[in-house]
Amino acid sequence: MLPPLPAGIARIIAVIIAVSLPGYTNSGGEIGVMTGVAADTRQIAEENAKIAAEVQEMLKQPLKQMLKDNRADIDHIMGSSVDFQKRDFMLCGSADRPGICCYVDGLVDTVIVESILKALIVFGGELHHEPDKLPSAEDIRARLMINASVKPCLKLGEGITAVMSGDTLVLIEGFDEGILVSTKGWKDRGVEEPASENNVRGPRDGFSESIRTNTAHVRRRIRDPQLRIDGMVIGTRSKTDINIAYIADLVKIGLVDEVKQRLGRIKIDAILESGYVEEMIEDAPFSPFNTIQSTERPDKVASALLEGRVAIFIDNTPVVLVVPSFFWQFIQAPDDYYHRYWVGTFFRFVRYCAFMISLVLPSIYVMLVSFHHEMIPTSLALTIASGREVVPFPVLLEALLMEFAFELMREAGLRMPKPIGQAVSIVGSLIIGQAAVQAGLVSPFMVIVVAITGISSFAIPSYSSSLALRIFRFPLLIASGLFGLLGFATVFFALLLHALSIRSFGESYLAPASPFSRTAQRDMVLRLPMWMMDYRPEFAQDSVRSGEHLMPEPDKGNGNGKGNGKDGSQ
Amino acid sequence: MRRLAVTFVLFSLMVISTTSCTGVRQINQLAIVAAVGLDLGEKPGTIRLSAQIIRPADARGQTGAPSGGTGQPIYSVSAEGKTIFEAIRNLGRFTSRRVYWAHNFLIVMHEDYARKGINDMVDFFTRNHELRMSTWVAVTPNRPDEVIATITGLEVVPGEAVDRLFSNNHIVGQAPASNMMNLEETHLNATTQSLLARLQLVPRGISNKKPEEHGSIKQVELAGSAAFHDDKMVGWLTTKETRGVLFFLERLDNGIEVVSCPEGDEKISLEFHNARLKVEPFYRQSKPQFNITLKTDADIVESGCNSTLTGKKHEITQKLEQQLKQRVESAVDKAKQYHTDILKLGEIFHNKYPQEWRTLGPRWDTIFSELEPTIQVKASIKSTVVKVMGTKVK
Amino acid sequence: MTNKIYISQGMLVAMIVNIIYVKAIGVTQGTLARAVGQDMWIATLLGILQGAVMIYATYLVVRAMPERDFIGIGEALLGRWFGILIALIFIVFFIAAFGPVMITFVYHLKDYFLPEAPLWMFIVAALLVGSLGCFYGLEVMGRIALVGMAFIFMLNLLITIGSTHEFDIRNLLPVFESGVKRTAAASLHYDADCALAIMLAALVLPIVKDVGKKGSRAAVMGIVVSGISVIMWAILESAVLSADVTSQYTVSCMKLARNAHIGDFLQRYEMIMIALYSLSALFQVMFCIYGTAEGAARLFGLKNNKWTIIPSSIVLGFFGYWVIEDHFRAIDYLEHYWPFIAVPIAFGMPLLMLGLSIMVGKKPDVSAAASK
Repeated sequence: MLPPLPAGIARIIAVIIAVSLPGYTNSGGEIGVMTGVAADTRQIAEENAKIAAEVQEMLKQPLKQMLKDNRADIDHIMGSSVDFQKRDFMLCGSADRPGICCYVDGLVDTVIVESILKALIVFGGELHHEPDKLPSAEDIRARLMINASVKPCLKLGEGITAVMSGDTLVLIEGFDEGILVSTKGWKDRGVEEPASENNVRGPRDGFSESIRTNTAHVRRRIRDPQLRIDGMVIGTRSKTDINIAYIADLVKIGLVDEVKQRLGRIKIDAILESGYVEEMIEDAPFSPFNTIQSTERPDKVASALLEGRVAIFIDNTPVVLVVPSFFWQFIQAPDDYYHRYWVGTFFRFVRYCAFMISLVLPSIYVMLVSFHHEMIPTSLALTIASGREVVPFPVLLEALLMEFAFELMREAGLRMPKPIGQAVSIVGSLIIGQAAVQAGLVSPFMVIVVAITGISSFAIPSYSSSLALRIFRFPLLIASGLFGLLGFATVFFALLLHALSIRSFGESYLAPASPFSRTAQRDMVLRLPMWMMDYRPEFAQDSVRSGEHLMPEPDKGNGNGKGNGKDGSQ
Repeated sequence: MRRLAVTFVLFSLMVISTTSCTGVRQINQLAIVAAVGLDLGEKPGTIRLSAQIIRPADARGQTGAPSGGTGQPIYSVSAEGKTIFEAIRNLGRFTSRRVYWAHNFLIVMHEDYARKGINDMVDFFTRNHELRMSTWVAVTPNRPDEVIATITGLEVVPGEAVDRLFSNNHIVGQAPASNMMNLEETHLNATTQSLLARLQLVPRGISNKKPEEHGSIKQVELAGSAAFHDDKMVGWLTTKETRGVLFFLERLDNGIEVVSCPEGDEKISLEFHNARLKVEPFYRQSKPQFNITLKTDADIVESGCNSTLTGKKHEITQKLEQQLKQRVESAVDKAKQYHTDILKLGEIFHNKYPQEWRTLGPRWDTIFSELEPTIQVKASIKSTVVKVMGTKVK
Repeated sequence: MTNKIYISQGMLVAMIVNIIYVKAIGVTQGTLARAVGQDMWIATLLGILQGAVMIYATYLVVRAMPERDFIGIGEALLGRWFGILIALIFIVFFIAAFGPVMITFVYHLKDYFLPEAPLWMFIVAALLVGSLGCFYGLEVMGRIALVGMAFIFMLNLLITIGSTHEFDIRNLLPVFESGVKRTAAASLHYDADCALAIMLAALVLPIVKDVGKKGSRAAVMGIVVSGISVIMWAILESAVLSADVTSQYTVSCMKLARNAHIGDFLQRYEMIMIALYSLSALFQVMFCIYGTAEGAARLFGLKNNKWTIIPSSIVLGFFGYWVIEDHFRAIDYLEHYWPFIAVPIAFGMPLLMLGLSIMVGKKPDVSAAASK
């Protein structure tokens, strides 16, 4: 028995032992278990790293001529993953030309894989091809295969990556190249209504997790050959497909390169959601404002592309990024454009009010009630005062408590399984709304203020930017609760300054309000009729959007009430 | 750069922690004053200030959690001090909440206080940033603390009741709607003198429980006015004289006049509207002269005459003109009697003759009391409202 | 980020409006009312005319060398020492200007809204926002000035709605009662407000888009637009309040705002107005910091003013605190010192530079002189 050693020294000893005795594994023994484990993991990690380096090296190698070698390499690279399938076959049924079909179970459509096998085994025989008369992979591809998308593959790494994304790699004895067949066919969620962006009128389809389906949604809306979709792969391990969509003759000059350059900068192991990309390429990384628009709606993306912007599709997420984006867009909804313009403008007005309310209402209430009582109309002041008569907290604390309770309810309602979510809102509204007032903990006025604020923040179409507003509400609230008008004005204008200073891919975030653009006002606060919105945003290459004199002018000359042009032609 | 940002954040945290909540006063920690009374104190040289404080829980009923109440919507207190400010500070000795003036509806001064000078009052109530400028100001011959504490039947808070009285004043048109804004302006103006409304208590309220004892409950009445010279009150104006003055102040463009029928003692009520009084100054023989013209339209709104009014329009018009002229004359006479230019005549003269004013201005009070303005009234009866001309034609 | 930033013509107009408006409606009108009574709007009008002429002179100086501001032009004309001298003058001017700016900002907020809050809090808050704006640079400042101008229009609208029912034209008469001479002399106080705009133009004009072609229009327009929005207040203050009342108050516009009410329900809404107003006030603070920081940066030959912002803010903060700590000192400084610092500098410098550039005689100056 060794005397107990200080942990540091013990670890050093353990490492020395571990390094000097290669065979020494997890025996624990005299040395503390912990130090033993540390030494073990370290050793294992080193070994793994060595293997990984070998694998990396292997992936770069070209395919070999002997099937046996290739098979050994693949086994070495893939290890013993159960979902990785290697199906043996004999080309044209002849025993001297064996081959394997590699695919990942679950990612492929087995029917297609079967059709490959059928082509290779059966068709060859039926067409009386001798294996020897098919000297190259190219011949096989051209003369045997019936699949839609088939391409040759020279490198092992290339083949493995393709297999990982759902293709099937066919290797045949004697060829130093493989054949990659597109057999993607995994279970898809299908096209559903976007969960976070609802509308009353307009298309109901939302993006799903499959990138190809997503780009197809947009392609179906814009059949312009100028719509380009450039591919890119990011993530050293995830190898996520990224597609950059734009309309070549509309997109802001230099924007695509800028996007590609920023995307190219990303060195990360995996991209699991568009949020990863968003945080890596945004302009104001410290700002709570989101300078990149994210959407689940194909119609939004299509309209953004038509305005000369760029969409970034990311595989495995239904959320597509759009750049550059402007603050006001987060307050606009597709419904504005699908309903008639009067309605659209009115809705927009309501939403701008909601935006202001959700940002400042609690602050103004707190400021008025704790500092500037003289500004409240007398009768209202009395009502507020009588409601607060028994409330034990200062207004600021009361507001913070209520805001916190509200956030809590929102978060709980979101995380709960859907059937229970209802229960949360019932409990919340009953307890916080009714009981807290009756218990004299909060004043009824504060409940109203917080409730209106909450409802307003839900009225903002973009969920992510309503989160930003929610974050800004608290400093504003605290400043106005502590310093009154001074705090409010200072923080509000600091906020304004900050918002004014932000850019999104070279465009001012608050455009077109600041810098002010007169033509763009047609679609900011107001939503003017379609026949008046004849310009694209200024950054687009081709700014004229529609013809002139588009306002419908039915022929009024007939004077018999039904005499428009259509009737006349009948 | 980053260190700088951290320093900034730390600094601002420090600011917050050291100064937080300076001047925070929750609204329920305030004693909201609805009306103020000013009187001379018992000791000579002191001021007695009485305040009507609203008790929100009782004035507004139950809006939140149960909060016990005595059922009294107001709490009236008074304190004395050598100055208004001192009196207010003395209020703090026994009011448990901070006395808060911003929502004050009314300032009532006692006649004696007003006669001693209101400089301190005007200064105090305009210097304080909390106070609103639309606070009504009035003078009363009764005890001001009684006036402000008198609960009327309709409003819960008495101050609010007087506030409504003032805002509906134009219907009756017998007292000036004098608020702090006007008072300050006329008070600071060297020539124009102030005119404040008169409030008094009259036993007019009828008890619901004992209706037979009619007029047992005192009510606040808004009638007449008080004329000031510089900062001192010089005398009262009756309701009729006040109406005459109101024409000059351009605050009255409609009202009711009652004249007798062309034949007999019955009365006709005439509602005049669009009344416009025009003052034209002249300067002749180094003496200022004024032509005062009052033009108005009128409707017959009630007629108790025995005969039809057809063809009597001219007669009635003349009677109305006569009566209005008398009103204006009485106002001018009263102003002259008090040697105080509440009619803004001096200002009008000044605007037209700035050069001459330099010599006349300093002696304006004496000049004013010697003025003999010519007064003309032009009335025209335009309609008899709904009916054709007269009722009850026999 | 490129060094070459441009601000639009509209931003220049907005900056000039913001920098004049705040003090002009707040404290200048009270000063004018004390000096010339109901003729204060005429004094303002005279001030506007003088300001417009001077800003045109400033433009003429800059037009000769549209790439350089006054400091740069000074260097070009007489060498580096002259540039340093001008930079020093800028520093002195903007530090001196910070007094009236802070008087306006603090007395509005403190006396009317937060009488119990400590004084330094206002200064720290203003400086924080101001230096934040400076860090973001001129373009952001220009943009916030545009927002400020929108707020100014709203404010003017609100005050007009709230006080027209008390409008009494008789209070405006008689005209020129105090005589043309006194009125003209009083316009000096408004000139002091224009001085800020002239110094602003001297610094900012070179980065305005197309300054050579349309710079004069924007600059003069700025003075005129601010003049219109200020004169509205002058007329309202003397007509609604009367000059007697206006002259009683340090911050006369608050008096008007306090009187204003919309209907019976909204008895007071000056808080909304002050919230709108404080943006312009903060812009003034921001520009004072910018002016001082820029001057200091050029004085020490720094490329960037980022490092001089904080020291400038601190110096300004101490000076501002010293001025406003005592109301009597503040009013004394405002009425008896500030115009005599501001006007000679702001009116003298463009004239001096114009004269120098004609004398030193560079090619483009000929056209400038000819057009005059």
